[in-house]
Amino acid sequence: TRLPLGSLEKPAPLCILADSREISSGLNVISALRAVHGIKVQVCSLGSCDYIVSNRLAVERRCQTELLKSTHRSKVVQRVQQLKSKFDRICVIIEKERARAGEAQKGFHRTKHYDGLLSALLRAGIRVLFSSCQEETAKLLKELALVERRKNAAILVPAEVQGPSQDALHFYLSMPCVSYVMALALCHCFRSVKEAANSSPGELAARTQVSQQKAEEVYHYIHYGFDKQMLPERIT
Amino acid sequence: MANETTPVRAGAVNVPFGHVIGNEKWKGSQIAQGMQGKVKLILEDGLGIVDFHLSNRTCILYISEADLVAGNAFKRRLVRFRNASSLQGIVIVEKTQISDQYFPAVQKFVVLELGMALLPVTNQEEAAQVIIQLVQEQAKDRACNPFLKKASQLLETSVFQTVQQIPGVGKTKALLLLEKFGSIHQLCNASIQELEQIVGRAVAQQIHTFVTQTR
Repeated sequence: TRLPLGSLEKPAPLCILADSREISSGLNVISALRAVHGIKVQVCSLGSCDYIVSNRLAVERRCQTELLKSTHRSKVVQRVQQLKSKFDRICVIIEKERARAGEAQKGFHRTKHYDGLLSALLRAGIRVLFSSCQEETAKLLKELALVERRKNAAILVPAEVQGPSQDALHFYLSMPCVSYVMALALCHCFRSVKEAANSSPGELAARTQVSQQKAEEVYHYIHYGFDKQMLPERIT
Repeated sequence: MANETTPVRAGAVNVPFGHVIGNEKWKGSQIAQGMQGKVKLILEDGLGIVDFHLSNRTCILYISEADLVAGNAFKRRLVRFRNASSLQGIVIVEKTQISDQYFPAVQKFVVLELGMALLPVTNQEEAAQVIIQLVQEQAKDRACNPFLKKASQLLETSVFQTVQQIPGVGKTKALLLLEKFGSIHQLCNASIQELEQIVGRAVAQQIHTFVTQTR
């Protein structure tokens, strides 16, 4: 008996996109992903989120102490709202801060604000994971990428674009409903900007591997009738 | 025992506003005490494997430090819950110095395999605090949740920005192009001749190349 061809093929290595700021704030996450888990990590200027682990899932890494106080609330809210407009799924990893050398691990005093924030995240359907260190965060990212691959959402497009396609990448990235990974897919899966602009929602969804709803948002944006009167004056 | 035959109480559990319906086994517990004065806790029997109902859609399953140390029985309980009901289950787990070592595996099982939500607490007192916040969140209008709100940004501003990403196109030309063609879609389908009338020959060529360039 012959095995089906696919079963013998080694699956492509998992790919995760990391925001360039993570090089300074999450160096151990990135190096653990590469060295311990054998994941292809592409560092890009994601801007809106810390990691993208699939065609639809963005991961935001937040330090636990930051969520205890209400001073950072609006920043967190704004960030998650932005993610909601770009991604079908969002996960927040709450990471414990590493104790600095010579400093005892600070006790963790749970606050009402912290529990309120967790409650609001859960109610909004946002996944929340807890991590005790950067290495554990890397492991969680790998697990998320594995789950997403099982659901056929793994990132398969090249994480880079070359030459004139970079202009197209920035063109797509300026659309509020388009994530970095979708912009990459639009660059790689359509022959030209014109072809993408003339596609139906169904075609957009099929080629870029996003949900029908997301594809419809992008379609709507491309066809949106611009009205100069609606443009705030300060912009022009 | 009811626990064995009915994992979850049949039919919707109607939880009055600001109330929690709890399993009778929590009578006199620190969780029950912690909730006192903040939310009204009604203890009932026949809730099966559910510990607390927060609304007719959301309930809590509590996993103690002892449950974690005892082995895998808690996993079977969660799977039974998942198979028996369509309620949103939030798992509250005691993450203490002793049970810390089990936490990563529990989290992987609950969140990544079962797709349920999980919240770690260090003791029952903290659990009560979390439950109070969860109940208050449930009682709020969905529109009050900052993560459910749609960021209201006028698309005009974004579309204007997008067109400026085309090489050779700045604010002035972007505005002229949008006034003439009305949408990104129309702009992408404009002929060089049409573009030339708006932005001149050189930029018209640039725009046309940008839009039609094949990869």
